[in-house]
Amino acid sequence: MTTIEIPQGRLDTGFDNTAEDCIHRDPLVTGEATYHAITKIVTATPEARRAPKIWYVCFTISLMLLCLLFLTIAYQVFTGVGVWGNNSPVGWGFDIINFVFWVGIAHAGTMISAILLMFRQKWRTGINRFAEATTVFSVLCAGIYPAIHVGRPWFAYWLIPYPNVMGVWPNFYSPLLWDALAVGTYSTVSFLFWYFGMVPDLATLRDRAKTRTRHTLYGLFSLGWRGSARHWLIYERGMLILGGVATALVLAVSSTVSTDFAVSQIPGWHETIFPPYFTVGAIFSGFATVIALAIPARELFGLKDVITLRHMDNLAKLMLVLASIVAYIYLIEFFIAYYSGNPYERFAYYNREFGPYWWLGWAMLFCNGVVPQLFWFKKARTTWWLALPVALIALFGMWTERFSIIVTSIQRDFLPSSWHMYRPSIVDIGMFAGSFGLFFTLFLLFCRFLPMVAMSEVKSILPQSHTHLPADCKAEA
Amino acid sequence: MTTYSPSIDTSPADPGMYGLLAEFHDPQALVNAANVLRKNGYYRWDCYSPFPIHGLDKAMGLKFSPLPVVVFSVATLACVGALALAWFCNAFDYPLIVSGKPYWGFGPHMFVAFPATVLASVVTTFYATFIFCKLPVFRHPLFTSERFRRVTDDGFFIAVEARDAKFDLTATAALLNAAGAQAIEEVRD
Repeated sequence: MTTIEIPQGRLDTGFDNTAEDCIHRDPLVTGEATYHAITKIVTATPEARRAPKIWYVCFTISLMLLCLLFLTIAYQVFTGVGVWGNNSPVGWGFDIINFVFWVGIAHAGTMISAILLMFRQKWRTGINRFAEATTVFSVLCAGIYPAIHVGRPWFAYWLIPYPNVMGVWPNFYSPLLWDALAVGTYSTVSFLFWYFGMVPDLATLRDRAKTRTRHTLYGLFSLGWRGSARHWLIYERGMLILGGVATALVLAVSSTVSTDFAVSQIPGWHETIFPPYFTVGAIFSGFATVIALAIPARELFGLKDVITLRHMDNLAKLMLVLASIVAYIYLIEFFIAYYSGNPYERFAYYNREFGPYWWLGWAMLFCNGVVPQLFWFKKARTTWWLALPVALIALFGMWTERFSIIVTSIQRDFLPSSWHMYRPSIVDIGMFAGSFGLFFTLFLLFCRFLPMVAMSEVKSILPQSHTHLPADCKAEA
Repeated sequence: MTTYSPSIDTSPADPGMYGLLAEFHDPQALVNAANVLRKNGYYRWDCYSPFPIHGLDKAMGLKFSPLPVVVFSVATLACVGALALAWFCNAFDYPLIVSGKPYWGFGPHMFVAFPATVLASVVTTFYATFIFCKLPVFRHPLFTSERFRRVTDDGFFIAVEARDAKFDLTATAALLNAAGAQAIEEVRD
């Protein structure tokens, strides 16, 4: 098996940077924490001649799933949305479930790179690039569904307000338009944010390039970055603005998505708690994804000194907080349904836990509310074989939550004669599996060819990067 | 406050000469040297480092960037523009009656104005940052230096350009040397 040379870190020799007491805590970056060592660790994978064998296995599977996605989309577009399992009254099925699911996963990246930037959390530097990549790719997966669920995607441009021979304009009161705006903005912003942060690191790969092709390609995308102090000043200011704006955006995207439901009059959807509910759930599922991807990535690509146990510990703690908020919102929803005295509202929630989809309802409570409580224990937060299952279970739990909210609320509507069960068709399932193919294909390519860790940011938090102004300069300032 | 008289551009004596490149050991050495150069009145020079060094801007005497003002102006325009567009489309040009709701409501149109504002700010920030940096530049004299390739890894540099009026090959080199440079080399275009 081809291995990538991994600089040995202190983690292996028993140092601990997860201690709560900061006096006895080892630094954030373990191992040989010099500038050059960080460059070597991060560039080892993009510069390796061959990736680890497991990479090729995963990439082949992902590509096959990606083909499945293209096939199912083509079949659906040429045949019509009737190929899905949607029916009356269940007009929203896998298309919207998976859309909300993927949008949710996207939130962790923005949360880590924007909100933690605002809070000056230094540990964010180890994982932000990685998390932003999950954001960019999962928004892409999410964006597929609204585009094709309109049935005639070739008319999707009708959402754009342009003067036309029909003399009509799009309806700005429509949640479909809000969705298009929110997701369109989110994908653009997350991509620009990701690329913006990567420019100095691409310059590192350019300067280390051994072949002409690599030098040209990395050189092209690093825009001629040369680390000038005048540039860094403007660049850091720009990064701060991007972070501030993205902080507002990350709280707004899932809120907008939740209004697709909240502005309707369906019991189970028509709720004022929906915007915070969706946002917290989204960030929760995003953190679960980052944990689930970081665990194999740091093992496989030798990033243990940069994405340390402390990072995993912090991620798990944040996940615990979010899981507890999600669980609280579940309880409040059930309480309000009871307290409202509205029989339809009460029935919707009764149906969620004791109706035909009872097992999904209980899975949602168990996976999101109960299982992550394991993260109260440090052992669970810092042991990969405990943290990984919790993260995967939470991801499954968040998917069941989307299913419960969407399907069980409309599957038994106001008129019992129109009640109908929902079953996804084979095309639905193929498309969902295919969206994972799209995500992992892009993610694996990212791991292989791009700097997975923001080198310049990690270097800036090393102890030796701290400087003080000369006395005479300080007096003038 | 002490004022230092800044030098101005002149055409260098040797047209092929870009300037002097000096390498420093660590961020602190770079900050100290930058302070020395600023006080000596140099104008056409810059520091180069693998990551942003806080305090270096003060040591170099750099001014605040106008980026936030530009972004704020564009974002405000985008916000007003989006609201105006929604009003024009649904309340003025083709009034839409939807469930008896008012033609124009501020609340629902926040879903239009907000993403438009965010999108405009981010796109402006992205482009304005690189425009203010005068990037992309794919050909630069410093890229000819083998030593300078370490600037994105672990190298800390100062480059003084030859077109600076105060530039003098021997005197500037001596100043950089006294400021703590580890290595000094000429960079030719």
